[in-house]
Amino acid sequence: MDLILITAQAAVDTAAATGETAGRAIGLGLGTGLAALGTGIGLGFIFGKTIEAVSRQPELRNDIQSIQWLGFALTEATVFYGFIAGLIAFFV
Amino acid sequence: MNLRSQPRLLLASLTALVGLLLLSPAVAFAAEETASNEPALNPSEEFALPSWVSIKIGGLDLSINKAVFYIVLATALTCIVMVYAARRMATRPSGRLQVVLEGAFGLMRDNITRGNMDPRMASKWFPFIATLFLFIWFSNMIGYIPMPTNTEHTFDVAGVEIPSFALYAATANISIPLVLALVVWIAYHVEGIRHHGFFGYIRSWVPSGVEGFMVGPILVIEALSHFVRLLSLSLRLFANILAGHLLILFMAGGLVVLLGMGAFGSVILGISTGTLAVVFFIFEIGLVATLQAFIFSTLTAIYLGGAVAEEH
Repeated sequence: MDLILITAQAAVDTAAATGETAGRAIGLGLGTGLAALGTGIGLGFIFGKTIEAVSRQPELRNDIQSIQWLGFALTEATVFYGFIAGLIAFFV
Repeated sequence: MNLRSQPRLLLASLTALVGLLLLSPAVAFAAEETASNEPALNPSEEFALPSWVSIKIGGLDLSINKAVFYIVLATALTCIVMVYAARRMATRPSGRLQVVLEGAFGLMRDNITRGNMDPRMASKWFPFIATLFLFIWFSNMIGYIPMPTNTEHTFDVAGVEIPSFALYAATANISIPLVLALVVWIAYHVEGIRHHGFFGYIRSWVPSGVEGFMVGPILVIEALSHFVRLLSLSLRLFANILAGHLLILFMAGGLVVLLGMGAFGSVILGISTGTLAVVFFIFEIGLVATLQAFIFSTLTAIYLGGAVAEEH
């Protein structure tokens, strides 16, 4: 089923029951959780491809590893964009 | 006891000490809650910035607070350590400091600067990028030393009010990464305009091979991506450090206090999350602090190199 519909329905139901902060909490949780899902997949790709590349050409290990850390940090940062957006939704 | 087992013993006792240090806020909070009817712990207070010395000029609030203290400390530490090391440089290194700094110098010069720029640009911009790297590194690292900076909560030691020990970093506040990112952003645009001329620089955003009516939309997308760079460069550093501090705060006792599950449940939860706190602490010190400084300066070098490059 459509995730957006479920979320909207949950926000309406819980807002009626527990006040206004429930929808914000759902926003924070979903934003961070979905961002973590994507980031996890991305990090798996990066390290998997690094292992593949190093096992093909072990002599390039140092070059590959420096690119790997760049990719790791760039990918890892995306979870925090979701987290920050969730915090903005929660507090502002 | 034989000598070989001593380093391992030292490491174990150090780890235990760090763990005790991390657990101490939880004990303090728990004791505080039973002792008096103070308002419950609010974790966002750890990041509040009460002003210590109030300075107000017109509508501008220039008060000295925790963030100002940390940024001054990071700047002073960067200058003092580097000047001290530079004066004691020897052809035959005697101490460990010079060996470490030579390694860092090689990383900054060969990997970060020369790897992403042509040699003339690299020698011109190396001081800027190296300073950026060192400042962010020192700022991140002193953020993981607990210091008595939380003036909201105090405790008594022999009649003297001492502020609670807290973790904070200048880079865990959005304003400092944003200012650093703005400096980088303006610098690479100025460098690009100086090299290509204004219209030449705008034209260099469009990749070669794009012709005709597609130039307009591509130019809009490229202009947008330059603004996103400003956002991502500052947010990446800020959010990484903030999330690290939040994780340590919650694992080292914040979670136990917030959930309030009674004595037995709190001890069980505290032991498991306290162990995790040590793991996160080591992860943050060992990887994230250095990696974020490396990423920030590498991206600066890539942007500066890309602005003057002939082909997109």
